[in-house]
This record gives sequence, structure tokens and C-alpha cells, in this order.
Amino acid sequence: MTVPTTTPPPRAASSESPPPGGGGRRRMWAPYAFIAPFYVLYVLFMIVPILVACGLSLTEWVGLGTPKFVGLRNFLDLARDTSFHTALANSTLYVLVSVFVVVPCALLLAQALHTKGLRARDLFRVTFFVPMVLSPIVIALVYSLLLDTQYGLVNSVLKALFGGGGVDWIGDPDWAKSTVAVVVLWRWVGYLTIFFLAALQAVPKDLYEAAELDGAGAIRSFFTVTLPSIQPVTAFVVVTSFIGAAQLFDEPYLITNGGPGEATLSVAMFVYRAAFQRQQFGYAAAAGLVLFVVVFAVSQLLNRLLAIGRAE
Amino acid sequence: MAAQVPKFSRYRRPSGAPPPPQGPLSRRALLRAGAGLGAAAALTPGLAACAGGQNADPRASGDVELAFWTHDEAYADFFEVSAEIAERASDFRYRLRLSRAGAEDLVTKAIAQAIAGRGTPDVAGFEIGAFPRLLRGVLAEELLTDLSGDLGDAADDLLPSRTAPFSRDGRLYALDSDAPLVVYYYRESEFERLGIPTDLATWEELAEAGTRAHERHGVSLGAVPVGSEAGVNTQGFEMLLLQRGGRFFDEDGALAIESPEAEEVLGFLAEGLRTGFLSSVAGLLHPPMQAALKSGAVLGQWMATWYRIYGLEPNVPEQAGQWRIRPLPAFRSGGVRTSFTGGTGFGVTRGKENTLAGVELVKAAYLTPSEQVRRFRDLGYLPTRRSVYEDPELLAIPDEFCGGQPTFEVYRDLIDEAPSIHLSADKSTLDTVLSGYLLQAYHGDISPREALARTAEDFRGQTRNSRD
Repeated sequence: MTVPTTTPPPRAASSESPPPGGGGRRRMWAPYAFIAPFYVLYVLFMIVPILVACGLSLTEWVGLGTPKFVGLRNFLDLARDTSFHTALANSTLYVLVSVFVVVPCALLLAQALHTKGLRARDLFRVTFFVPMVLSPIVIALVYSLLLDTQYGLVNSVLKALFGGGGVDWIGDPDWAKSTVAVVVLWRWVGYLTIFFLAALQAVPKDLYEAAELDGAGAIRSFFTVTLPSIQPVTAFVVVTSFIGAAQLFDEPYLITNGGPGEATLSVAMFVYRAAFQRQQFGYAAAAGLVLFVVVFAVSQLLNRLLAIGRAE
Repeated sequence: MAAQVPKFSRYRRPSGAPPPPQGPLSRRALLRAGAGLGAAAALTPGLAACAGGQNADPRASGDVELAFWTHDEAYADFFEVSAEIAERASDFRYRLRLSRAGAEDLVTKAIAQAIAGRGTPDVAGFEIGAFPRLLRGVLAEELLTDLSGDLGDAADDLLPSRTAPFSRDGRLYALDSDAPLVVYYYRESEFERLGIPTDLATWEELAEAGTRAHERHGVSLGAVPVGSEAGVNTQGFEMLLLQRGGRFFDEDGALAIESPEAEEVLGFLAEGLRTGFLSSVAGLLHPPMQAALKSGAVLGQWMATWYRIYGLEPNVPEQAGQWRIRPLPAFRSGGVRTSFTGGTGFGVTRGKENTLAGVELVKAAYLTPSEQVRRFRDLGYLPTRRSVYEDPELLAIPDEFCGGQPTFEVYRDLIDEAPSIHLSADKSTLDTVLSGYLLQAYHGDISPREALARTAEDFRGQTRNSRD
């Protein structure tokens, strides 16, 4: 069977004007009608909230009554708010942990799961993925039981093994940050592993065979074959991990509630707190807008650096 | 033969080529339409805000179905009976439609529904920790009915300490369901076994006895919350601060944390944790506290009257009969023998068809002496009318969990010493800031004075936005 490869002859007058009559108009509307559902939803649920947030960020509003226009005062207050500075620093830390700890761990885990002859591979996959599907409430409850200073399991084990164990995992600012980082690692590493595993399975085996023939060992093959082959997936995982970590909310909210004090407060929590615990919707919108601009700008930068979505 | 797939590339119109056909909807027109739609939608909240006030004509009689919101289902059962009393006192016939939500969520949802202009509750119970959110701006004024004119002869009998938290600018937005006095719970059998006196008059004496008991038996005579919930952490401190004569906010809502009383109480708690007289837990209603109570590691606790119902009975039912209550030991340097923590104010949404019916229901539930008696009998919540504290029925009720002790006698002796609490819209900010510094002071990383000074400084910095 042959497939016609020649382009059809141009229709008469098609490039000049639409055919007269209702049929022509319908054809003109057709493509817009097909793409409309997406764009209508996009406008309603993306563009409109952004525009609303922009407007709201210039006001002071408690939720009821008329918003009072305050110009750029919310942004100026944010610049002077030590709490917001703390949240920015914490979110930066979460981003660094996510990109430089969670992503490499997920890759190593995927590599381990991809090993030839590994038994119970599916069991391991499920085990690593389970934290992702667990209810955050369950996670919070379990960690509160594990990490309690006086009566928690972790400290009891440490005490039994080493005689110490008085670590205040949630009450000490530094330990609390570490605790959140560990929970982020525990919760997300299995999820990202799935992406890497899919990418590893798509790497042609003959590349490894060729590398082996050239005398490359396992480590050399990993750096010269595996990493370049899965670069598009890695780039995608890095960017999505960055976006997720910059907007991190669940883990600090559930495990430490942003505390002690504000030691683990993230920017997303700052926005939530301002809007829904302090009724400062204008201030929350301003903080949300700053977060949006930073995430958007860095994501674009990463997209360009990592050449995501560009044909070779 | 293989098909030649055309290669897609960005189309560039050759120079001189005719412009693309302009159909009824060009790309530019589509973008303009989208922008117009977005701008129109962006105006919606503003328009909704302008229409914020609700002004339906209130119904004066007949069948009413009240949307009743609470964070505690026990209130629903209580109000079902109160509705019968309200029916006898008015021309309404009630049906309650219950919605239950977390204390914080309830306020969030009420505000969200008010913004939407419909679906607000008719009657709602606002937990005292969440209520300060309604004190910001015009929220309470826009959302809730002023009940101060509906008190009748109860006005002079209601405890001022329980109307103050729910009042602002002379308006009363909710009636408190409880007068949650703080008492000292202790496990009498264990105190006796370990030779710890149960009648020590001061905290200092109890601390000395507790330190010895910790050294010999590894037990503590109280617990201090140091978990992740800022409000819970500050609650443990606030109870003793109020007892000592200090407070978080003054009558005008201004911060009053930098005081000698606050410094003394914080120092006392830090020292208690250091010596082991006190133990640290995530929260007084949290699993680690349950473990501490069950294992006998913690043998006493200062807490509100409702702690027996929500803290002790469910967590250590096997210790029924072993517990007793007594007035708080006093501080040597001054103060009283009790404090307050908790409470839930029931308010009525203003300007609705069911507003009058809601007011009649809340009045029946919280202003009639018989309902005040029933509330203690059925729910364990203390009366908010002073005269009811002399009720012989209440004074004679034995508390089986406390070994048959007539606990109401203790409450009657303490009620006139109870301190007043004043709330501020910035309470949540204070909780966040203070909680962190409390933990540092408990660890001994900073002094109590430094903790309070830093709290005040951070608080002022963070509330700059709301003060302007």
C-alpha cells in the first residue's frame, strides 16, 4: 500500500476568503471550537486567578467588606518582613534538598531497581512508591509518634542503642529543618524513581554493549551512557522537583506546622497563614505573586539551560 | 515505498505574500476575548465584596430549619434539647441542620460562604482559639449579630470574664458555652504511694516535691507542650501566666507580654523542665501525653475543666477513680488559684431570614439557668451565669472519674478568682512568634527575659501590616 505524498492542489479561492455561506463560517469556527474547552478552562482557572491575585495584592482586604487600595504597600511590607525572609530562606533550602538530594537519590534507586536479575523488583517498586499514596494525615500522625522527644520510637531506639536519644526532632530549629528534609526525601524519592526507571528501561541495550566492548566499567557506563540517554527525563524531573519544592506546603505544615517558631515555614505556608489564619488576603496575594514570579523565572531559566522540549 | 512525512517547522510568511485570511475570529480577537473575559472575572470578587452585607427580612415565627455549624458534635445533641425550650419561649418550630468542621475550618468556611453571599451558617460555635480571626477589620461586624441587646436580666449575671473574649467595641458577638476554669488534676493514689503531699499551697513547694519525686522515681507532676502546634504551646504558658496576673493582650488588644509576671512564669516552666519536675510533650491531648499518662510518667497536670472529658477519660479510662482535682497551687509572689483556657462562643449570622430564630435558640441554650445546669450535667461545661454556681444540684453531683469527688465545689470556690482574657486579631501571630521563643527558653538557649523581648520585637515587626 502506498501513501500519497503529494500535496493536494489548492482549493480555488481558499487563500483569498472563506467560502460564502454558513458552511464556510462553520469551518472557520471549527478549530477554535475544538481548542476552546482547554482555553476557556485555562482562562478561568489560571489567567483569572492570576489577574485577581495581581489586583488583590494592591489592596488590604479581610475577606468581607470592600478591599482598600493600598498601592505597593504590601510589597514594601514583604520586603521588610523578617517572617517572609525566613520563609524564602527555608523554601530555598527545600529546593536545594529536593534538587541535589532527592533527585540523585531517586536516580540511584532507579538504577538499583533496574539491575539485572533483581528479585521481587515489583515489591520494591511498590514499597518505594507507597509514601506517595499515603494520606498526609497518616504521615503526620505516624511521624509525631516516631519523633516525639520523650516518648517517640526513634529516641527510644537511640537511647537503647547508644544511651543518648534526647534529640528534639521537631522542637529544635535545626533538627526540625532536617526532619522536614528527611520526610520530603522519604515521600518523594519513590515517585521520582518511577520516572527514572521508565527512562532507564528505554535506553538501548546496544549502547551498553558497545561501551562494554570499549572497556567501560559500570561507573563509566553510567556517566557516559546512562546519564546522557536519560537527560530529557532528568531535566523534566529537576524542573518539576524545583517547582514542587518551591511550593512545598504539606510536609512542613503537617510535621512541624512551620515551627518551632518559623524555623520550617515555607513561602506557600506563609501565603496560607496570611490568608486563612490572619485574614490578610491582600498581603497573602502579594506574597503569592512574588512566589509565582520567582518560580516562573527560575523554571524558564532551567528550561533553557536544560533544553527541555527542544528537538535535537 | 516509505511515506515522506512532511517536516513541521515554524511557518514564516514569505515577504510579499498575501495576509492570512481574516475569518470571523482571528487569533488576536481570540486573545482579546480571553483578556476581556479574564478582566470581567477579575472584577467579580470586588463586586461580591461590595455586596457583602446580607439584609434579608428576618422571619418572626413558624417552621425554621437552622444551619447549625460546630466543631464538636456534642453541641448538636445539646442544642436539640435547647430548641424545645426555645420553641416554648417563642413562636418558632426548629429543625437543626448540622454541619461539623474543624475549629479553624469552621471560621474559614463561614467567611468563604459570606464572600459567596450564601450558604452561611445561621448559628455557629466559634472556638476561642479561632475566633480572633473574626476580630480583624469588619469581619465580626459584617458577619455576626450583636447579642448585647438580647441578654435581658442575664446581662448582670453573666461572667464578664466570659463575655470579654467575644466582645469588641461594646458589641457581644457570641455567648460562651463554658467557663473553663483551670484546676490541677492529680493521680491521688500515685501521689500517696510516692509520698507526695496533695495539699501543697504553692507552685514552688510542689516543684520541690516534684523534683525529689523525679530523682527517686522518674515521674513528673506536670507536662509542658512543646510540639508543632504553636497555639497549643502558648496555651500551656498562658494558663499559668493568667494565674500569675499577667496576660498576652490588654483590654485594648495591645501586646502585654513583656511583664515581670511573664518572665517569672517562663522561668518557672524552664526550671521545672530542667529539674524533671515537669515533662515535655507534643501536646496535652496528643498521643505522647497519652503514653505518659498511661505509663505513669506524668502524674498531674494543670488544665481546664474539659480536660477530664477530652483528655483523661478517653486516654486513661483504666485510671478512673484515681484522679482528683484541686485549685492550682498559687505562686508565692502573687496571683490567684485558677486560670482559664478554651471556650466556644455561639454566634448568630446577621441579616438572614433565620437571624431572629437563631438568636432565640442561642438565648434559650445559654441564658436560661436550667440549661446552664443541664450543660454541666450532660457535657461537663461550667455555667457562665454567676448565680448558677450556687445551684444545690450541681454542688451535689459526684464525679465518678474523680473517685466521687463533688468537683463543682472546687469550681464554685474558684469562680470569683477567675481572670479575664482579652483577645486580639493578631493572636495567631503571637502564637507563632512566642511558640518558637518559648521552646528556646525551655531548652535554656535563651533567658526568659530575652525570649519575651524577642517575641515582642518580632510580633511588632510582623503586625506592621495589620497595625497600619
